[in-house]
Amino acid sequence: MFSELSAQREASSLLCRPASEDQGPVFDRVLQAYTPCSERFKLGERSFSRQYAHIYAARLMQMRPLLTERAQQKWGVNVRIRKLCDLQTGEQCCIVGTLFKHMELQPSILKEISEEHNLLPQPARARYISDADELILEDELQRIKLEGKIDKDKCVTGSVIAIYGAEKNDGKFTVEEFCTADLPLQTPRPSLSSDKFVLLASGLGLGSSHADSMLGLQLLVDMITGQLGDQGEQSGAASISRVLLAGNLLSQSTQNKEDSTKAKYLTKKTQAGSVEAIRLLDELLLQLVASVPVDVMPGQYDPTNYTLPQQPLHRCMFPLCSVYPTLQLVSNPYQANIDGVKFLGTSGQNVSDIQKYSSVDSHLDILENTLRLRHLAPTAPDTLGCYPFYQKDPFVLEECPHVYFSGNAPSFDCKSDSITKSLTEVLLVTVPEFSSTQMACLVNLRTLECEPVTFSAFSADDDDESEMNISH
Amino acid sequence: MTTKRGLITDTFKVVKKPKRVGKREKRPPSPPSKETKGETDREKELQALQKLRQFDLDWKFGPCTGISRLQRWERAQLHGLDPPEEIRDLLLLHAHTHPEYNQCLWSEYPL
Repeated sequence: MFSELSAQREASSLLCRPASEDQGPVFDRVLQAYTPCSERFKLGERSFSRQYAHIYAARLMQMRPLLTERAQQKWGVNVRIRKLCDLQTGEQCCIVGTLFKHMELQPSILKEISEEHNLLPQPARARYISDADELILEDELQRIKLEGKIDKDKCVTGSVIAIYGAEKNDGKFTVEEFCTADLPLQTPRPSLSSDKFVLLASGLGLGSSHADSMLGLQLLVDMITGQLGDQGEQSGAASISRVLLAGNLLSQSTQNKEDSTKAKYLTKKTQAGSVEAIRLLDELLLQLVASVPVDVMPGQYDPTNYTLPQQPLHRCMFPLCSVYPTLQLVSNPYQANIDGVKFLGTSGQNVSDIQKYSSVDSHLDILENTLRLRHLAPTAPDTLGCYPFYQKDPFVLEECPHVYFSGNAPSFDCKSDSITKSLTEVLLVTVPEFSSTQMACLVNLRTLECEPVTFSAFSADDDDESEMNISH
Repeated sequence: MTTKRGLITDTFKVVKKPKRVGKREKRPPSPPSKETKGETDREKELQALQKLRQFDLDWKFGPCTGISRLQRWERAQLHGLDPPEEIRDLLLLHAHTHPEYNQCLWSEYPL
């Protein structure tokens, strides 16, 4: 682990005389092999004339063979797999289809228009689930209401699953069991000889009104660039081979929604809040890229397109650091191969959206669910913005990653061994939002272990503050 | 008195007559030319278009609006649904010359 690595060395070099007059020891940063694999998230043509029916059709086309195979493994090779149009009442069979959850509370623009005469606007909710929700399974042609052993609160619209059971006389399908596509195949990773780390951080929240996180952020940068601590810590920092910033580099407050609705002449002389924040980010990144390769993913509040997949931030926003080849502006979702370890992850929109439309609370559990569904963002395009793909759904996982992460989580969490039944080894990480937790995390590429790093020396802890006040 | 205004009606007749003559002249030459070039060609074309429409209506290959027939065919091929080769041949043969071959049945209806 990183902390042990740094602590091993004798921690006395700060309290003794400098060894010699000239420069101290130089620790070379470890190198790594890196191949970006995010091509499938790059958009060539941008045509918004299509409907979303295509993405659901393509998703079902891609998932049907996988689920058929999985159903045969689970319920025997001779299990009857039916289309909904061939379904007969009372017959035990298996159906593959896309889930749709009918939710009364789901915000709908049509409802708002039709009801605006006599109703107050719906209050903003943290969750849109209710007891009246209904689960419906759709295949290419038809749909059927589901009941029985399937928890509607845990399921979300857009997941492709296989169900086993029978249709009853009232036209509803009683589910006895269901299965998901589960983990895809994984290519084994090569074993590394030494410890190498990738640092994951998200939600830097630059440009927010309160600059609490700036000290922590600077400490983070100094730690990575090896300007913090004694020689032991500095040599530890040299083993960080890459930094990955998973979205929301800018704070939500840089997006001033009012400005876009105001008259032009009122906002003529004002500058968008994101301009100053991006300049700040450029300066911050400059310190990093001069020393270490950095991947920058955009997030929900960053100045790029809103719909998934988010395209990389434009180079011209970073006049200072875009000259460095170590700066990689990447897409969200992100996929790359770092020293043979496959990374896949998002800035967290997919996870927080599922959280709103299901009863699952923990970001880590949702992350695991999406891996088991073999789909990065099942709720896109229903409640999550998404480009209207027609040929293929790029969010269907074709290969199992070694590190699967999502950004901007309320807290740090990771999980590795409990989901590995066979040879598949996956590390799930929810990368905490830095601006609120002052926390980043380090993934060891050799052991696939993950460890948080906290910089909350003065900020969050109220007790510390009060003690300091007393002492003054 | 009114009957003496026959002069005006005369002028109308004069104007109308040449038009009718012109239409009659235009009509006759066109049908024979098509007949001579072959009823079979047109029938083939109609048959081909009919096949393409049937392809549009085949639900196995997914929705057809908003994308071209060839894109839909390629998607079906990509996902191993075995779309008929004949359809692609027809599309590739006519795609450049006839726009009506390219687009699906519902393309003229706005989304």
